Amino acid sequence: MSASLSMLVEEGGALASTLGVSLGASGLAFVLGTPLAILLFRTDLALRGVFVALFTLPSAVPPFIWGMGWLSLASPRAGYLNRFFGEGTFDIYGAGGIAFVMGLSGLPLVLLAGAAALRRVDPALDEAARVCGATPLRALLTTTLPLALPSLLSGAVMVLLMTASAFGVPYLLGVSATPPTRVLTTRIYELVLLGGEGSLTRALVLSSALVLLAPVALLATWALGRAGRVRLSAGKGLSPRTLSLGRARGPLSLAVGAVCAGLVLLPLGAVALTSIQRSFGAELSWESLTFAHWTGVLLANRTLDAAGRSLVLSVGAGALVCALGLASAVLRRRFRRLGPAVEALAVWPYAIPGTVLALALLVAFSRDVRFILLDRVAFVLALAHTPWLLLLAYVVKHLALGARNSTEALAQVDVSLAEAARVSGAGPVRAFVDALLPLLRPALLAAFVLTFLVCVTEITMSVLLIPAGSEVLGTLLFELQSYADPASAAVLACALVVLVLLGQGALAGVRRRLPGERA
Amino acid sequence: MTAIALEGLEKAYGTTPVVRGLTLEVREGELVTLLGPSGCGKTTTLRMIAGLEHPDAGVIRMGGEVVAGPGIRVPPERRGLGMVFQSYAVWPHRSVEANVAYPLALQGMPKAELASRVREALRWVRLEALASRMPHALSGGQLQRVALARALVAGPKVLLLDEPLSNLDAALREELRAEIAALRARLGTTMVFVTHDQGEALALSDRIAVMNLGVIEQLDAPERLYREPGTPFVASFVGGANVLTGEVEQGVFHCAGLPHAFVLPPGLHARNGSATLVVRPEDLELGAEGTELPLSARLFLGHAAEYRFPLGDTLLRAVGPVLDVRPGQTLRVRVRKARLFGAE
Ligand SMILES: Nc1ncnc2c1ncn2[C@@H]1O[C@H](COP(=O)(O)OP(=O)(O)OP(=O)(O)O)[C@@H](O)[C@H]1O
Ligand SMILES: [Mg+2]
Repeated sequence: MSASLSMLVEEGGALASTLGVSLGASGLAFVLGTPLAILLFRTDLALRGVFVALFTLPSAVPPFIWGMGWLSLASPRAGYLNRFFGEGTFDIYGAGGIAFVMGLSGLPLVLLAGAAALRRVDPALDEAARVCGATPLRALLTTTLPLALPSLLSGAVMVLLMTASAFGVPYLLGVSATPPTRVLTTRIYELVLLGGEGSLTRALVLSSALVLLAPVALLATWALGRAGRVRLSAGKGLSPRTLSLGRARGPLSLAVGAVCAGLVLLPLGAVALTSIQRSFGAELSWESLTFAHWTGVLLANRTLDAAGRSLVLSVGAGALVCALGLASAVLRRRFRRLGPAVEALAVWPYAIPGTVLALALLVAFSRDVRFILLDRVAFVLALAHTPWLLLLAYVVKHLALGARNSTEALAQVDVSLAEAARVSGAGPVRAFVDALLPLLRPALLAAFVLTFLVCVTEITMSVLLIPAGSEVLGTLLFELQSYADPASAAVLACALVVLVLLGQGALAGVRRRLPGERA
Repeated sequence: MTAIALEGLEKAYGTTPVVRGLTLEVREGELVTLLGPSGCGKTTTLRMIAGLEHPDAGVIRMGGEVVAGPGIRVPPERRGLGMVFQSYAVWPHRSVEANVAYPLALQGMPKAELASRVREALRWVRLEALASRMPHALSGGQLQRVALARALVAGPKVLLLDEPLSNLDAALREELRAEIAALRARLGTTMVFVTHDQGEALALSDRIAVMNLGVIEQLDAPERLYREPGTPFVASFVGGANVLTGEVEQGVFHCAGLPHAFVLPPGLHARNGSATLVVRPEDLELGAEGTELPLSARLFLGHAAEYRFPLGDTLLRAVGPVLDVRPGQTLRVRVRKARLFGAE
């Protein structure tokens, strides 16, 4: 115990950086997200739909790719911005850069939480303030905003949790900074790579510190949720009248457009530009542009190999998440008393940082520990040091997506639909398949696509669990960016962004067919 | 022949008993209505007959065979029933036609025969024109008729109907009521019908089971139920009788805790002691004789009028010819006919 404590003190720097970076990121997301949420969801800003789509893009594209974009823009010497404004104007390395990138990646969490709340705040409350003599702006600031605040804050807490568990961005921007910034996740990674009894113990101690963040954050969102819920109207379909911006509409729309271009389009553009530059850091000119990297990277055996493995693992994870999620939802419905246990099994792993989860699996399946109780179980041996361990990690981590989607969808369908099939002569299985499954299909499809997209670009757990000698797309991207050349990494990043966008498009199509969304 | 026999059925949700020792026999080809206030356990009883709930105690027999009882539990799909759900339960992902065809498809019926049977069923409920519509484009009444067609299409021996006409307009309700009666005559289907509309129950049923708090208070043919209610509850639920508690003393009924008293008609003079007086509104006469009561409201009904008199914390309701009177006026009320419960 005291040994653990002294270890924690020695690693105090990593702990402090984690807290600092996480607070910084959530602060940025909150400060940026609050006015944006109001402008986007409560006013007549121009091009709102486009802005909403663009501002929520960061949650679809993995943070690591945003990190690469900002690195291309603002690495102290070769970054495009620094070449424009003069060397050393911006420096994306270090704690500040990590917080900045993670804050922008987390922006959608604040925006979406705010949107949900702003949509539910009873318009009558706003109108009451208007009748009392408040101007529209004053009514907004004194009535609507305070009511939506708990939701916006809970979005910020989610950003905090997400940043504390992030691995890719802190590694990219922290480890090679001068002086290096180490957070808990990157420190755990280093210790695991180092190997040996002492390092592993130390990594486990750090993991416990990291894992404590999850319940604290969940408790905070729960408390905020309770504070927020009471005063929101339960009624659906109340569409509040939007606040007219009047003469400020033009300038404000332009300003939001500029922010959007600067924060979302610019880094993506930078990745694209890097991918077609002959070499990163060379003089920018038409002659220096080439598509050689594209064919070189995308057709390389290494890439195809990793893509194949990722495809199998992600499709497998998606299918298993759907199947297990559906099973858990049905179990919960059938045996109410099992509810909390099933819920905990399905949902808690989602809140555990990927690094911790991967480390736990690594230890559980390692040769050193398995003899304790698992030696005789053949499949355990078969799993250790194979990509299938990664499949297990993906499924455990994302089970919540399947469970939540199925539970919500199942709650919306009327049981008597299955009962009507039973009375018509169908057995229990047939009734489920004929009467309920078709109604659950869109929700399951959405869970599948979501899981697939997250797994195909997953880095955090993959780098720890992938056996030496094999690669998946996430680890390939990580390796290329960290140890090879940024141009090749940029090509892969662009390809992944395209994949993610296609997937999100499909998802939007599926969502439109969800039961609750039709009206 | 008994088609359905319920013997001592008990059902509780958690610790709340919902059905408490319910016994009922339905003869083959008969239409029995479960009538009762909301929440008295009608749907629960129907669901136990269908096999969607298992009774905590008691036995259910269908056609002589035990389908539910200790250790026996025949699943709904093997009970050969048709059922119309209170919530319709029309499958939103199937067209009207496909909804109705489902029970037949499960039997593996050939396509051509299936199509003609579906068409026939849709004609019964006047939905031929909407055969290819999806349910979300139907009104509540149309959904109800899809549910009815689906329940009927396979020609079940027993049809369970949970308020199948509640969402229809008066004309369509009349029409479907007649249709159900005709179908029954033609197919000889046994029906258990749930409703809380007493008019519907009286018009349609061979026998009515009046339910209250999970038990059957009275099971009788409509006329007899109306004429000779067995309990004050039945009297007030069927026919909307006034129910008063008090004491009978030498032909006069004294309301409990109130200064009012009513002279009873000659037939009831012999009885004495504490009792419940049940008087139908149309058996109260307004005129020159009787108890003086202040009028609180007059409701014009068309062919007659309803008069309301405050009586403690309840209202006494009388129905009679339209008189030119105003609220606040004092009228004389005489009991022409009544039933007494509980007096010796
Ligand atoms: N699944 C359940 N869990 C707990 N209580 C239930 C459940 N289903 C019904 N009940 C309760 O049992 C009682 C009887 O319900 P039931 O549906 O049989 O009433 P009903 O007579 O059909 O009423 P209505 O005319 O309103 O349809 C009600 O008080 C209801 O609240
Ligand atoms: Mg009911």
